[in-house]
Amino acid sequence: MSGQLEKIRGLKYIGVVELASQAARILAEIGTTQDRGTVSEMPDERTLRYYLAEGLLSPATEKQGTASVFGYLHLLQLLVVKKLQSEHLPIRKIKELVDGRTERELERLLGLDAKAGAKNEALSYLEKLLTSPSASSPRSQQFNSPAADMMRPVAPAHAARQSAPQQQGQATWARVEIEPGLELHVRGDYAPPTETKGVRRLTRLLLNALEGYRGNMRK
Amino acid sequence: MGHRLPQIELLTPRAKLAAGREQTLDVLIRITPPEPQATADAARRRPALNLSLVLDRSGSMGGAKIQHAREAARYCIDQLLPADRISVVIFDEAVEVLITSQPAANKAALKESLAHIHARGSTALHEAWVRGGIQVSEHLSDAGINRVLLITDGQANVGLTNADEIVTQSLNLHRRGVSTSTIGIGTDFNEDLLLPMAESGGGNAWHVETADDMGRIFSVELEGLIAQVGHTVTLSLVPADGARIVDLLNDFELNETGRYKLPNLQAGQTLEVVAQVRVPAREAGARLRLLDLKLGYTPQEAKSAEVVRQFLEVEFAPEEETEALPLNNAVVKAVQMLMNARARREAVAYMDAGDFDSYREVVSASIASSRSSFAPMQADADVLAELSSLEALSDTANDRREDQLNRKRLSYRSHDLSRSKR
Repeated sequence: MSGQLEKIRGLKYIGVVELASQAARILAEIGTTQDRGTVSEMPDERTLRYYLAEGLLSPATEKQGTASVFGYLHLLQLLVVKKLQSEHLPIRKIKELVDGRTERELERLLGLDAKAGAKNEALSYLEKLLTSPSASSPRSQQFNSPAADMMRPVAPAHAARQSAPQQQGQATWARVEIEPGLELHVRGDYAPPTETKGVRRLTRLLLNALEGYRGNMRK
Repeated sequence: MGHRLPQIELLTPRAKLAAGREQTLDVLIRITPPEPQATADAARRRPALNLSLVLDRSGSMGGAKIQHAREAARYCIDQLLPADRISVVIFDEAVEVLITSQPAANKAALKESLAHIHARGSTALHEAWVRGGIQVSEHLSDAGINRVLLITDGQANVGLTNADEIVTQSLNLHRRGVSTSTIGIGTDFNEDLLLPMAESGGGNAWHVETADDMGRIFSVELEGLIAQVGHTVTLSLVPADGARIVDLLNDFELNETGRYKLPNLQAGQTLEVVAQVRVPAREAGARLRLLDLKLGYTPQEAKSAEVVRQFLEVEFAPEEETEALPLNNAVVKAVQMLMNARARREAVAYMDAGDFDSYREVVSASIASSRSSFAPMQADADVLAELSSLEALSDTANDRREDQLNRKRLSYRSHDLSRSKR
């Protein structure tokens, strides 16, 4: 399959219909379609418009007349969406996984880069966790890891807060990775909510902020 | 390779519904995974296991606990087949890969290495879990079961300690093919970390009150791994026109495509789901195809998803007639067990809020309604176990020193009941 895709890397598709039929051809060739699945096997035009509206497919970057021109990236996005759907992933999760991925990353999601694509996914994820600032060197990290800061304010920030509650300038901030592509900036004395209500409120705030941010980016 | 499908039964409290009025109906959905073929070499044909035991040896694990953990690890090694892989990671504030991932061939040498585990230091739980995951991932097997088994009695206090973050990572790792089970020992570990970590990690969550219970839990976990027949399980329920799903008593998470996420399918473990359906009024004698159901899952040794369909047709009769029909005990029992699971979550919430009167009331109310529902099934082993679990809670609900342990009992029991583990 890797070889097949190699050949079509530079191709363009005028309009969703062309893109859909190319994807259908590839899906049929690689035989990953389901026997008794609930997910429609071949993406039709309507489905593609839905994916575009939902942001599962990036908008076309070129136009030819009134028709959108799609490329290799869009094809990969479409193939990944179909693959993840066959694994019962909800649309929102699929969007999270597909959003902002490069061609290379999408190829990896499709298991195209190496025979042991799945193995590398798990392994590279864990190795990244190990080398990321929040998980490395446990001894030194007790006092400077972002996560430890969240749970247990570091001494200077804590002292500063007690002596001068209004003085925000001395607060220490730490970056915490939530998932690939998303980091939070957290002040040392911030304590996350523990009760359900607070967690829900925080989730809502976070999602609203992200939606607003993405909305602004589009404009 | 062919495989048999799970069986789905749909049951209602009575054989017919009362005609002439709208009503809410409990529908029991019973999913029975296929038994593995009972052939002589069935054991050899089970999926290969690729395990990492991640073992806490922090100071609090001293004495009997570490000894039991070592014994459990030895037991685990004894159960493995030469085609399985095992690694052992031990941790306190530092993390050490004691046994790198290898085939479980030279069992004597593997068990010899375990003798060097002694308790000391504090708890770098997260990094140890990551390292165990790496041991598994380096030999990830598509057809086999890739799992990290984390055993701890403590709170993560070195390295990454934020429970939400660790839980998210456990989910991310599960999506990449490695699942996580957790065993919490005693009263001091953080159930709000270990339970969701296993839940989102696609594994099992165990609470071991005393260390000598460890061997039993290990055997259940291993049997479960061997018996797993399907994963990525979803359930979709489509009610007839005019009907609607009011509630799913198991409180399974609903995804955006309107499907419920169910636990892995395991041979010998029937999963009971109860949906409450609002049924429109019909005349006596009418029949209605009330509910269409689709169970989606990925069989253990296959890559593509399967879907099994089933539907429920109900018949309406005059109320006098339906009142006289016998109640189906299986439905009554399933409903009460799930209500008790919810009551336990409520009890935990009251306990956390310091509202101990409400906590006690919830427990007492559960006992009262259980006694009444379970009256016709007094010899049922599940029923006896549930009643004695509730009574033990009630006996200790006034003792604040018992709260820490009771909170764990409530959380784990609630989780288990929602998944038909009684």
